[in-house]
Parts: sequence; C-alpha cells; structure tokens
Amino acid sequence: MSEVIVITSGKGGVGKTTTTANLGVGLAMQGKKVALVDTDTGLRNLDLLLGLERRIVYTLVDVVQKRVGYGQALVRHKKYENLLLLPTSQVADKTAIEPEQMLELTQVMRNEFDYILVDCPAGIEQGFQTAIIGADRAIVVTMPEVAAVRDADKIIGRLQAENKDSHLVVNRIRPQMVKDGTMLDMTSINDILSIPCIGQVPDDEKVVDSANRGIPVVEWDDSVAGQAYRNIVRRICGEDVPFQTFETDGWFTRLRKKLFSHH
Amino acid sequence: MRQEIVQLKGSRYGLQLVFSPETEFKTIRADIQRKLESGSRFFRRGTVIQLVPGVLSSEEEASLRKLFNQHGVLFRVETMEKPATRRPMATLPLTPASPAKAAPAPAPAPAPAAPPAEKKAPVSETATPAVKPEPQPGTKAVAKPAPEGETMLVINRTLRSGQEIRTPGSVLICGNINAGAQVIAGGSIDIRGTCRGLVHAGAGGDTSAFIIADRLMPIQIRIADRIATLPDGAVKTPAVAARAFMKDGKITIEPMER
Repeated sequence: MSEVIVITSGKGGVGKTTTTANLGVGLAMQGKKVALVDTDTGLRNLDLLLGLERRIVYTLVDVVQKRVGYGQALVRHKKYENLLLLPTSQVADKTAIEPEQMLELTQVMRNEFDYILVDCPAGIEQGFQTAIIGADRAIVVTMPEVAAVRDADKIIGRLQAENKDSHLVVNRIRPQMVKDGTMLDMTSINDILSIPCIGQVPDDEKVVDSANRGIPVVEWDDSVAGQAYRNIVRRICGEDVPFQTFETDGWFTRLRKKLFSHH
Repeated sequence: MRQEIVQLKGSRYGLQLVFSPETEFKTIRADIQRKLESGSRFFRRGTVIQLVPGVLSSEEEASLRKLFNQHGVLFRVETMEKPATRRPMATLPLTPASPAKAAPAPAPAPAPAAPPAEKKAPVSETATPAVKPEPQPGTKAVAKPAPEGETMLVINRTLRSGQEIRTPGSVLICGNINAGAQVIAGGSIDIRGTCRGLVHAGAGGDTSAFIIADRLMPIQIRIADRIATLPDGAVKTPAVAARAFMKDGKITIEPMER
C-alpha cells in the first residue's frame, strides 16, 4: 500500500513546508518508507528544514527532463535512512515541470515508498496543478485567520473538483487568543471549511529554532507543536488519537505580560 | 452643453445604444471607442449593449461587435420592446451550472428558456399566441424571469470561494455559500445553510425575487438592480432565518420562521 499526499494551502506562509518536513520525519520515525517531493521550484525550502541543503546534486527538474533517474536525485536523510528527499531546482521556475510529467513520476515512485508527501507551492497556478495531479489525497494547511481560511476554502473547492479528498491541519493556533475571542476558534473554522480535521498545531517558538537547525520539531520531546505533529502522523497511519487541549497562560503569566508589554 | 454623439439608454434588461440617425458611422464608432478606452463605468466587462435592428448595416454591426468584444462587452442587435423574442437574462449570459438538473419546464407564457438546457423548440413569437407583445417603445417588458411552476435548480453542496452558480430560474442550495462564492439567479434564492458570499436574485430585473437563508450574513445582497451590503465589522451569526426582498425600492431584510 502506498499513498501520495499533497500538502497545500493556497496562501503562502501558513506552514506547508514545515508541515511536510514534520510529517515526513514523523512517518519515518514510525518506520515507514517516505519520500518528500518539493514542487516549490525556484523557492525551495524543504531541504533547509531537513538540514539537507548541502547534499543536493540533482533536482526534480533534472528528473522530469530525463537527465537522471529519480533515484539519483533522491537525498537520504542523515538520521532516518528510510526518509528521502526529492529536492527541486532553485534556478528554474514552475513552468519547468508539466503536470503530466509529475503524474508519471509519482506513479513510478509509488512502487518504492509507503508514503510520498508532495510539498505544494502557494497559489493556484501551474505549480499547484503540478503538485496535486498525482496525489491520492490532500492535507490542507491553514491558520486561524480570515485570509488563510478563505484561501483554504478556495483550494478545497479546487481539490473537490479534481475528486481529491482533503483533510485539514490548522497551524499556529494561539490558545490564549482563542480563549479571549480574538482568534478564530476551531468551531468557526470547521463551520466554514467543513472537511475532517486531522491536526491542530499550536504556535510554538521552537519551530523557528528547529528550522534554523534543520531538525523538525516532531523529533523534539519538549515541543508542543512537535507533539501535535506526532499525533497527526498517528492519525495518517489510521489511529484514532484525541485532540490535545492546549494550556493557556495562568493568571500570573498574564499579569506579567500585561505589566511588561510595551504595546 | 454639447450633445453626446452616442448615448446609452438604460433599462432593467440592459443598455441600449442610441444615436442620431444622421450621424456618420465613423463618428459613432470613434465615440464608442473613446468611451470604451476611457474606462467609463457603463462599459464594465460583461455588460450587454443592445441595438435596435435595422439601424446599421451588417458590416457596421460586425465592426461594432468586434470593438465591444475587445473590451469584454457583449453587443447584441435585437429589439428591446418585444419580450417574447428577447432573452430574459439580457444583462447576464447565464448558463446553468449543471444542465441536467436545470432543464426548465416548458412554460406557457413568454418563456425564459435557457438555451443549453432546452428540450423543446425555442420559444418564438408565433409559438406564443397566449401573450401578444405590446408595442410600447421604451416601456419595461412583461416577462418574469422565473414564472411559477418552473423547474428549480437544486445544488446539494457547499459553494466555496471562487465557485459560482448562474441560473435563469430560481435556485435552492442545500449547503453553505462561503465568502468569495457567488450565486446569480434570475429568480429567487433559497439557502438551507449559511450564506456568506455574494447573492444576486432577480438578476434579469425581477424585483419580486427574494433571498432566504437559514443564516443570512452575506458580503453583498443584490436584488434586480439594487445592491445592499451589511454594515462593516464583525457580523454576528443570526439566530433565525431571514428573508431579503425589495420593499419600496429598497432591499429589506426581515427575520422569518421556517
């Protein structure tokens, strides 16, 4: 059994690449054979988040243009042998890969991997079409914010038109703001998007640190976001995992923040 | 004040091109071109401009059509006084979202039949002896876009941002209309769910069209040629269903039970 999952969002900056890196490492930690395909040609980042930038020799563009086989372009993860990255070119642009070429590639790669995660670029143009074409299903990443939810809605409509099931991951939730009523809560988001939610990831400073170090937070035991990603991985594997309830600040922390904030 | 060479006479079914018969075609064309290029609000993309037949030669008509089309404006040579031959949705090139569902019943009166979904022969003047078109130049036409008993389009899904439904008749939506989605109907719109997008009922000019939603909180409501918006700021989820309709020339929203 192999599954191709595209990670998409419509809007940029909501955490598609971070989600791809974390789910990829998380699935590899579960012993699955995983390939991560970066389709954000020209603006590749997935290699950075995995700490694999220096090891890239060939790219997705070389593969679809038949200069090399995909096996030659795959970069093996330093810690997890069963995790491989197919990076894309930083110099070419999205027109370098036709959707049909991507479809062909994912169909061939299916034979070798349990999971193929495709990191989709922002937008709804050719890059999006290329990323989704070979996917069995989609994970739509959004943030509790009107613009991100609006764009996610558009993307879900496009995915439904292509007969692809989608699941939702809500990223960068700030529990205290939700509690105060200044951030969209899960009820409102589900009300608008009405697709099954498989992840609620709290905002976590450690994600920034982890990107700099090239070690996704899913590996970090002390990260709340890492815990959320581990739960998503288990849900992808078919386990029924209840959603975490996030801790909000206690009265003392809130008082301290109020006293020392400059806003 | 100088007399305009070309004027646009508005009716609820579209805009009619009017000019003095003595004016040379070259002058007319140049004036239209100037108007199109100046970005006048009359020439928004998707606007339909009509011209009474027989005023210009067919080459001249073709030349104007080409000019209008370049600016995204539709140009039709047809009379506005005869409702039986006039398309009911003159301002909107309506195509049913799903032709299979939207087949309109053969209506007895001046029937607004959607061409793609048509099963019977197109309704012509000779085929409608029941209603004789009244020769009243310049008055509004009598055709109602969605007569009683006409098939209603039923949409059994949520419309998401960027999706659009256009229908010449009425529409029932069992699902939500999300922000960024649009529903444009010649008749009325009934939403069994939450309406957050843009809804336009009576798009052909039917002021008796209305909009009902379980939770009516749209970005914009349009009925016939009127536009209403909700006040800016956070919109609260309404507790009861509401109906929007035209009352004394204004769009009015009233709570309702159902």
